[in-house]
Amino acid sequence: MSGFAAFWRRYRRNRAAVAAAFVLILILAVAVAGPLLYPVDPFDMVGRPFQPPLQRFLLGTDVAGRDILAGLLHGARVSLFIGVLASVVATAIGVGIGALAGYYGGWIDNLLMRITEFFLTIPSFVLAVVLVAIFSPTVFSITFSIAIVSWPSVARLTRGEFIAHRDREYVLGARALGMPDREIILLQILPNALPPIIVVSSLMVATAILTESGLSFLGLSDPNVVSWGYMIGVARTVLRTAWWMAAIPGVMILITVLAINLVGEGLNDALNPRLRRR
Amino acid sequence: MNTARFIARRLLQVLPVVLAIAAMNFLLLQLAPGDAADILAGQMGHASPELVEQMRRDFGLDRPIYQQFFIYLGKLLSLNLGTSNIQQRPVTDLIMERLPATVLLMTTATVVAVALGVLLGVAAARRSGRWLDSVISVLALVVYATPAFWLGLMLIVLFSVYFDLLPSGGMMTIGSGKTGLTLALDIARHLVLPATTLGLFYVAIYARLMRASMLEVYNLDFITTARAKGLTEGRIAWTHAFRNALLPVVTLAGVQFGHLLGGSILVETVFAWPGLGRLVFDALLQRDLNLLLGILFVSSVVVILANLIVDLTYGFLDPRIVHK
Amino acid sequence: MRRVKMRLVWATAFALAIGVTAAQAQQPKRGGTLTYTFHPEPVAISTIATTAVPVALAATKVYESLLEYEGPGLEPKPGLAESWTVSPDRLTYTFRLRDGVKWHDGKPFTSEDVKFSIESIVRPFHSRGRTYFGEVTAIETPDPRTVVFKLKTPVPYFLKAFQAGESPIMPRHGFTEDEISGNRIRQAKIMQQPIGTGPFKLKEWQRGSHIIFERNPDYWKAGRPYLDQLVLRVLPDGAARAIAVEKGEVDLAPMSALPPAEMQRLSKLPNLVSSEQGSEALGPLMWLEINMREKPLSDVRVRQAISMAIDREKLVDVIWYGNGKPSRGPIVSGNPVHFDKTLKPFEYNVQKANRLLDEAGYPRAAGNVRFKLTQNFLPYGEEWVRQAEYIRQELGKIGIQVETQSVDMGGWLRRIYTDWNYDFTSNFTHNYVDPTIGAQRAFTSDNIRKGASFSNSMDYRNPRVDELFNKAAALDDGPERNQAWKELQAILREEMPVIFLIEIGYTNIWNKRVHGLLTNGISMYSGWDGVWVE
Repeated sequence: MSGFAAFWRRYRRNRAAVAAAFVLILILAVAVAGPLLYPVDPFDMVGRPFQPPLQRFLLGTDVAGRDILAGLLHGARVSLFIGVLASVVATAIGVGIGALAGYYGGWIDNLLMRITEFFLTIPSFVLAVVLVAIFSPTVFSITFSIAIVSWPSVARLTRGEFIAHRDREYVLGARALGMPDREIILLQILPNALPPIIVVSSLMVATAILTESGLSFLGLSDPNVVSWGYMIGVARTVLRTAWWMAAIPGVMILITVLAINLVGEGLNDALNPRLRRR
Repeated sequence: MNTARFIARRLLQVLPVVLAIAAMNFLLLQLAPGDAADILAGQMGHASPELVEQMRRDFGLDRPIYQQFFIYLGKLLSLNLGTSNIQQRPVTDLIMERLPATVLLMTTATVVAVALGVLLGVAAARRSGRWLDSVISVLALVVYATPAFWLGLMLIVLFSVYFDLLPSGGMMTIGSGKTGLTLALDIARHLVLPATTLGLFYVAIYARLMRASMLEVYNLDFITTARAKGLTEGRIAWTHAFRNALLPVVTLAGVQFGHLLGGSILVETVFAWPGLGRLVFDALLQRDLNLLLGILFVSSVVVILANLIVDLTYGFLDPRIVHK
Repeated sequence: MRRVKMRLVWATAFALAIGVTAAQAQQPKRGGTLTYTFHPEPVAISTIATTAVPVALAATKVYESLLEYEGPGLEPKPGLAESWTVSPDRLTYTFRLRDGVKWHDGKPFTSEDVKFSIESIVRPFHSRGRTYFGEVTAIETPDPRTVVFKLKTPVPYFLKAFQAGESPIMPRHGFTEDEISGNRIRQAKIMQQPIGTGPFKLKEWQRGSHIIFERNPDYWKAGRPYLDQLVLRVLPDGAARAIAVEKGEVDLAPMSALPPAEMQRLSKLPNLVSSEQGSEALGPLMWLEINMREKPLSDVRVRQAISMAIDREKLVDVIWYGNGKPSRGPIVSGNPVHFDKTLKPFEYNVQKANRLLDEAGYPRAAGNVRFKLTQNFLPYGEEWVRQAEYIRQELGKIGIQVETQSVDMGGWLRRIYTDWNYDFTSNFTHNYVDPTIGAQRAFTSDNIRKGASFSNSMDYRNPRVDELFNKAAALDDGPERNQAWKELQAILREEMPVIFLIEIGYTNIWNKRVHGLLTNGISMYSGWDGVWVE
């Protein structure tokens, strides 16, 4: 308990991060409860197309007469779901590979690092685009593709942490006691290496959301769901007559990503007090 | 002499990576449902199964996989990236046509981003903790969180639709037949919005990095020495601190190349800029997988080359690295 | 008396002035450039490489065929052939070719070129080559100005085959021996650097930017073409194309080159003309193709219910921005000869649809859903995505839960035509000038062939339909043939192997300063030698 209290005390010092945390919770609430409280299908044609906001509909209608507010609420779910899931998967893969590479060193390290660098060389967004195009866009193929291009940075970070920790006394001690490698990695080193990984993971959610919106904008979204990037993509060709159709979902992305970034920095300050930014 | 060996060594390290990328490309190509013969048949709107089989034989698609792979590698060596199924032209030609426009865009964006970022970073560092510093930091944060394609769209709405100051897309005014200086100016005018959109994200990054870098450098010994020697604050900032602080930014700029390529897909689509990124979008519309994979390969190679250049520049700036 | 005389003089003078002005306004002006735009850029300048619209729009300016056509029904008139005779049994067609026609490179045009083009180029490689010339047993060239086609069974639309886009006459000397023997016709050099007999020849092709055609000074029609130049501008962005047309930088946007929303907006501007004329003979038709192999889609009541749940008028208005009209069956309403004008629009009745599904034995179950279906759609662009979304919603309202799959073209073709692994998909075809060309191949049971694209993927087997189509394919136009078409339209409407949706309009938009564009039902694919600009 005291661990968390100390953490919160440190986190609280960054007021922007605290505000951002509230915003994020709000957005999560909207994502979860919004479609329940406002049960309009974002694909339903509810009225005449191209209606501006603040008339019959709070945020207006899009090119096919669909409710933009409904799109926003459902889009929150999709974007957050894909963002979080992609980040979780990428972290799982990255930590796994990085831990093995960092702990064992030698040829395992060499091999795994070669693979990691390989993925770091290929431009990540281009690869994501190609992967989704090949596997046909669905929520899962998109999540998978984003995860594939995101795990290398986590792997590198994890490896660095494990290299730093593997020669520490507590590890040497554990080994002397005959603890199996698996336990050392999972129960000894990993908890200590976690703080920077958590920070990177959280920031990765933001990047994943940006990537997903980029993919959707290019037309690579699951045709059965509405996401924010999809809404902007639909509005691309009617910018002259209906700029709000693109503006509104973009603002949502901006706020969400900004909030996540600030929270991530707050976490960084709170979890890694040694690495204080000036 | 050392430089030459350095380059040779790095090139050798790079070769297996290129091979791996080629293999991955080939694998992805196999994973795609439907092949070139299918697509051509579909375009014709009416093809008998016999005709499709014949086309498959023409394209060599009926040979065993490993044979196809070696043929594929052989083609790559001769810089043949295959033929676009949809456009019926060599992928290499299509890419080479569009590459200059993208290079122009990316270079401009990078130069602007570095210049502006460095300027803002230095300003923020000089006035660390005060009003300007906070403003710059906040702006940087907001820009960093903005989707680039959305930013581009909003800039179009503002500067093209509302104010009619700048063109909303394309690389030059169509049908104007300009040449020479007027053409250059026309292109420059069209370049403003896309380069700004693409570069703004990096301005934020470089500004923060430059700021942190400057502050760190200020605390180093040789700065104290310089002060002790009696140099003015200004000279210290611009000759000593600046040059050293610049290094990480330049390194990052080079490393961000791959990221920039990805961003150019979105920006070029928004601004109808006739470059490689736009080609990706067009290829996506028709799911021209041959073309997409060719672009993936070329952009990976470009990133590798960019990293190589960064390493060399780094080594040049910091002689300790090369002679290690 | 003098007053009346004065009035007469004024009236005459007035009439003369009007007449002169009118005559001047109608007088074609020689010279000038016509700029048009389309997307994507053509991949070649020959409809042999592919019959896709961008290519046809370019190739038909440099190549010609034996005949030209008039009117929406494409009545044949002399082209490269100055006259022709048809034997009474309709098995022999003799064409007398025009004298003194030259290729763009100066060499003379002869009957050998015609024989070579039809036999070695059009029939094997044009996507409709076999449909037109499959029954031709021999092509004889007794002299350089005569070509004789011998058929084994009569083909009612044979004379319609000689359109510039359908059977372009290409020079024998334009192909190398290598290209012919190595079966590399599609990749032949002439595909990129055309040599034709048409009113324009290729001057310059800057990829990604523009194609310039210049007047053929030796064109066989004296005094034509009027235009000095044709410029095809490549503008990948739809909004940019629309702006260019609006500002007058581009004179013509043919075949729905602009985004539908923009076309709707531009059609209201005073300096522009917007019309679906000029491409109506292509007969574009869009439908939902249904895989009838399994339940529930094997039940005709289910298919009819789906048809009744879709509001076609709204589809045209909202998704297609008014470009087109609801379809009434396998033959487009614009076909002046074969369309049954007594046909009523398809019914839109959601209640009845629900009732049909109940009767067919598919009651609403958990979540108000009767059953699930997967939907595919043609990856042709934004509107197709919107349409798929719309159909998904409409079917949801009658209890059919639809999951949409977004696949690339290659994958779509595999799924629909090779694997037959789909429930329903949007599909798009052209009727062309005769339903035997455009409509038959989807509905006869002998065209149920794995791997053949745009064939009968639904597994629709109706012996009467087969019989009627085969009968109509051999009869000449007349009451007996029309009777067959009438019955076919009725059966297909009733049985719904596909859900006929819309005749998508190909809208052409041009600046008022352009004249002489509309000559027949396929004007956009004509040589434009009679087009002039102010």
